Amino acid sequence: MTNEDELHPLAEIDQVIHAPARLMVLVHLYVVESVDYVFLKNQTGLSWGNLATHVNKLEEAGYVAIEKGYKGKKPHTMIRLTKRGRAAFKDYKQNMQQVLDDLPD
Amino acid sequence: MSNEISLKETERKVFSTTFQDGLVDIAIGGFLLMFPIGLYVSPYLGDFWSTIVIFLPLWVILFPALWLIRKYVVTPRVGSVKFGPWRVSRMVRFNVVIFIVLVLSSILGLLSAVGFDAVPGLVHAARFSLIFLLVFSVAAYFLDFTRLYIYGILIALAPLTGELLYQYLNVPHHGFPVTFGLGGVAITLTGVILFVRFLKEHPQQPEQAESLERIEKTTR
Repeated sequence: MTNEDELHPLAEIDQVIHAPARLMVLVHLYVVESVDYVFLKNQTGLSWGNLATHVNKLEEAGYVAIEKGYKGKKPHTMIRLTKRGRAAFKDYKQNMQQVLDDLPD
Repeated sequence: MSNEISLKETERKVFSTTFQDGLVDIAIGGFLLMFPIGLYVSPYLGDFWSTIVIFLPLWVILFPALWLIRKYVVTPRVGSVKFGPWRVSRMVRFNVVIFIVLVLSSILGLLSAVGFDAVPGLVHAARFSLIFLLVFSVAAYFLDFTRLYIYGILIALAPLTGELLYQYLNVPHHGFPVTFGLGGVAITLTGVILFVRFLKEHPQQPEQAESLERIEKTTR
């Protein structure tokens, strides 16, 4: 087995998901149907700017969908995980599991 | 990895935010406090009007007030969330189980009413205690709302201790005004303390629209 083969699972780790802040956002989105920015900010502890940057990155990757609507007369945005995002997160989880399981004690 | 990212635990944590504001506690406490009031007004107003006097303030004042507080005070602070299919199916199972428990409790209640004089007071009290304990435990389990176990025990103790107070100290109305009253006060106070703590821990968020406007500026 070459070094390249050994490192293969690591090379498959999705870098969009792997950033801690984005991983935190995805974990929360994975367990619910949708949330708004306020809820996500409270749960992740990220600043508004950070949160927006990471959510935008996830949206660009097609992992989350941003749904702009209204709550009464006020604009209200909900964020949800797309099918692609859900599948990518599952793959990420499996890959990380494999990488960590393969490490010696 | 599965330990680090415990998805079920995260879901539970997210769902438990529903109860962190203490409003459900205030509702339960308020509901309990109405019983002692009802027991004292029923000799003067009769069963029908005393029931109205008990439940009208709950439905017309307390519950709508709590709903408004949740809408205008709590939600802007914690944000909105729609839960996923796992939670929805758990809520469906909760409703089915609580329906079965309530039907069984009603049958038990009817049987108690039929043979009321033949059964000692403590046995009646124990039946009610069991029903309260069962209902609250089922709710606590399905809602991941652990405080309900404690409330279940507290409320389950109310009929039993009330009956003992009646038998040994001759406290009127089977001791219910004292035991349910104290239980209601304790639960309401817990709710109020939790609500105050919630307000301190969750200062008013800037309006979402303003924040989003700021977000767009920073990401441009």
